[in-house]
Amino acid sequence: MNPSIIGQMAVSGALMGLVYALIAYGFQLTYATSKSINFGQGELVMVSAFFSLTLTNLGLPYWAMIPGGLLFGAMMGLVVERAGVRLALEQKGEGWILLTIIIGLFFFSAAENLWGRDDRPFPTPISADPIHVVGVDITRLELSVAVGVLAIMGAIELFKRRTLLGKAFEAVSADRDAAELMGISATRTVMLSYGLSGAVAALAGILVSPITTVGPTMASALILKAFSVAVVAGLDSGFGVVLVGMFLGALESLASFYLGSGWREAPGLVLLILALAVRPTGVFGKATIRKV
Amino acid sequence: MKRILLLRGAELIVFALLATIPLLVVNPYALGLLTLLAIYGILLIGLDVTVGYLGQVNLAHVAFLGLGAYTAGLVVTKLGLGMAPALLAAMAVGLLLGGLLALPALRLEGPQFALATLSFAALSTTALNELEALTGGAQGLSLSRPPVFGHALTPPLFYWLCMALLAVVWMLMRNLLASQWGRAFEALRDSPIATDAMGVGTYRHKVAAFALGSGLGGLAGGLYAFNFQYLQPQSFVYDLMIILLLGVVLGGRKSLWGAFVGASVIVLLPNLLSNRLLFQVFSGLGFAMALAAGLRGLVKKTTRPFQALAPVVAMGLLVVGGFFVENTEDWRKAIFALMLFSVVVGLPEGLMGFLAIFLAKLFRVPHAPLPEPSDIEAILPPRAVDGAPLLVLEDLKRHFGGVKAVDGLSMTIKSGSIHGLIGPNGSGKSTVVNVISGLYPPSAGRVLLRGTPLPSGSLFRVSRSGVARTFQNLQLFGELTALENVMVALRGVYRSPLPLVLLGLARSEERQAQADALCLLGRVGLKDQALTRARDLTYGAQRFLEVARALARKPDLLILDEPAAGLAHPDVVQLIEIIKRVHKRGISILLIEHHMDVVSELCDVVTVLDGGKVIAEGPPDEVKRHPKVVEAYLGQPPQTDTPGEPSPQPA
Repeated sequence: MNPSIIGQMAVSGALMGLVYALIAYGFQLTYATSKSINFGQGELVMVSAFFSLTLTNLGLPYWAMIPGGLLFGAMMGLVVERAGVRLALEQKGEGWILLTIIIGLFFFSAAENLWGRDDRPFPTPISADPIHVVGVDITRLELSVAVGVLAIMGAIELFKRRTLLGKAFEAVSADRDAAELMGISATRTVMLSYGLSGAVAALAGILVSPITTVGPTMASALILKAFSVAVVAGLDSGFGVVLVGMFLGALESLASFYLGSGWREAPGLVLLILALAVRPTGVFGKATIRKV
Repeated sequence: MKRILLLRGAELIVFALLATIPLLVVNPYALGLLTLLAIYGILLIGLDVTVGYLGQVNLAHVAFLGLGAYTAGLVVTKLGLGMAPALLAAMAVGLLLGGLLALPALRLEGPQFALATLSFAALSTTALNELEALTGGAQGLSLSRPPVFGHALTPPLFYWLCMALLAVVWMLMRNLLASQWGRAFEALRDSPIATDAMGVGTYRHKVAAFALGSGLGGLAGGLYAFNFQYLQPQSFVYDLMIILLLGVVLGGRKSLWGAFVGASVIVLLPNLLSNRLLFQVFSGLGFAMALAAGLRGLVKKTTRPFQALAPVVAMGLLVVGGFFVENTEDWRKAIFALMLFSVVVGLPEGLMGFLAIFLAKLFRVPHAPLPEPSDIEAILPPRAVDGAPLLVLEDLKRHFGGVKAVDGLSMTIKSGSIHGLIGPNGSGKSTVVNVISGLYPPSAGRVLLRGTPLPSGSLFRVSRSGVARTFQNLQLFGELTALENVMVALRGVYRSPLPLVLLGLARSEERQAQADALCLLGRVGLKDQALTRARDLTYGAQRFLEVARALARKPDLLILDEPAAGLAHPDVVQLIEIIKRVHKRGISILLIEHHMDVVSELCDVVTVLDGGKVIAEGPPDEVKRHPKVVEAYLGQPPQTDTPGEPSPQPA
């Protein structure tokens, strides 16, 4: 087997893996504040991508469309929080798992009917011409994915560390009750995390769509991989997702090459189950002590 | 008696009606729907074990349906065997793979469990699609119903077979879920830690529950294969899983009737969606129900505004949508989503949960009468007290990273004593309890019970060795009644093997367990509240229930972890009485407590901890005056010779 082809597949896969990492990062944001994640996050990515496509079709230039798409994603994130998560968290139950699945299903059906069941191309001004870097072809489009992912993750991490609101976010993540006693509204912080998570999902959709096209089925294709990344990396480990995302992306691309494209999801799923079995807190996650 | 007649009567009537239908109606379409009803009934009863009893979101059930269906199909087409072996194989595959999947999923709760099952489902779809040589891949797999005893299975015969299987599954599961097994499943859901600490064993029950539910999924899959006689991987995907969850949740969790109602809804859904008038009628009905229930909840202030309004909005969307949308079939997923959303938010008990309360009121069904309490002499025979060392801690250490929570603790608890363990907050008392009871393995040192080392790091095995504990932060099984909380922990009563339990031949030991548990409840003054759900008891009663539950382990050593924390004075007085009564049976007690009056009144010996080390030991009055103890509590050395009273701090 030609090593340059393997290298090519691994690099392209790893760059795609950054998108999974970004969606997984969205899980981490909400998990930090509320110990809950949106099981319908894939649908959120998908509807945000469709919405952004509509903005583009309305004649909005690419760079003006992005903030619009992010805003839409953030709003949808808030809808999920209000309708699916808040009540269950107040009742300290796990109803949110089912409710977020349900809301995702609703988004899916709405997208199917409003935008159609077919995959559609997503126009972008960034060229898809390859650049040669040490024997491997990388397109500007793929590079833009990497830049976009790392930029927004860096921005959010800076926001968490440098601003007062961000510190409130960290406080609620560390200890919800103590933060409430210090006058921080946990409910608002959870809302903030869902808003951010929605915006992150929207960006993931905007970045990946020019490469994969937009269609209702993109939701389930992305979500399983994002779950794998989040669980294998650990739901509380900041940049672990980036490493695991790239690794899984490369693995998946090689698996589909050697085993056939039908098996491309298998390695991620197997890793997910293994990680849960061996180390439920993830490779980079902190082990917790059970207390009674 | 009336209760039994009503419940069994209803079951008999429904099944008799269902059995006679093919004789009266010859509409093949209706018969097909009824056959599906039976198949989905079995499937949902299986799903209810994990979703209802274990309380976990299980997204793999549809995979077991698919795997069972393909197994049956392959057994018939490739091996050329008959229907019975095919169905058995389908069920076995479900049992086996379910048990296997449960192993990694064992330690998982909530979202992680859901993710593990979701991945399994996705993997199995991939496998069915890609193993083309075996399954035919996306092309599908055709099979025909093999004859049974030389008779071709006509639709009515096949229907009767499915119904008969449903009836058998129904009876077996009813027996199982009403037994210790069902209680253990529910205990697991409410508190895995307490389940282990009560010697019930989370491990075997979680695997058993999951394997059992999946086995039923496999069996339903086998029937599914013979019903449709054509299989495709796409039939067993996420969409169907959502519908199955809709069935269980809408019908009502933890209820066989709920599964039946849920199955009926699933079977009727496609018709509901294809007929616009029917759809409008039903969505209107749903809207009216949501509105009535919401208003009632708001006026009575039993529900939060969101809980009352959200289902109204969702059902309202359904009604409005019904008028505007051209083809309801296109929006089926959104319709499922809205229905499911309304039920999860507004009717968490499901239709049957709602109906059960209503019917119980209508028919005034009394609870089955409880037996007379057993004699305490039989349950907790007085033990000989010899004063020999019972529990010995030898240089016990437990470090968390750099924190030395327990740092070289040696102490001896004598048989028949009440041994106090006190110390300021953070002195390591709770860690000691957690190490002895097996929650944490020790970092170094040994724990000996009557000279033999206790198993380290396993709540379950320590509990089985004769040490029982209560929890400072209550770990009751909230959804179970007080009586069931004690019954689930009872030691030495449940001896019948699983097959006898399934056949309902273990009722006598169930009565025995009830009688024993009632006696123990009487010991702590909760006999009159035996049928109250644990989470509805007052705080004091919950503390006493923890003691009664620990007594059900019939322990040699009872560890009480701050039993008086947060109790009002009258309750403290009662607690002291209870502990004295327990002590009279010859049970040795390790008492961790902050209330000095409780310690002084009860304890023979007190060990004082500070910074993970023993700073004093002796009779309570002596220890109280010990300068180091005073210093530990007050934070300064005594200035004068007059001994200061240590001031206990609230927990």
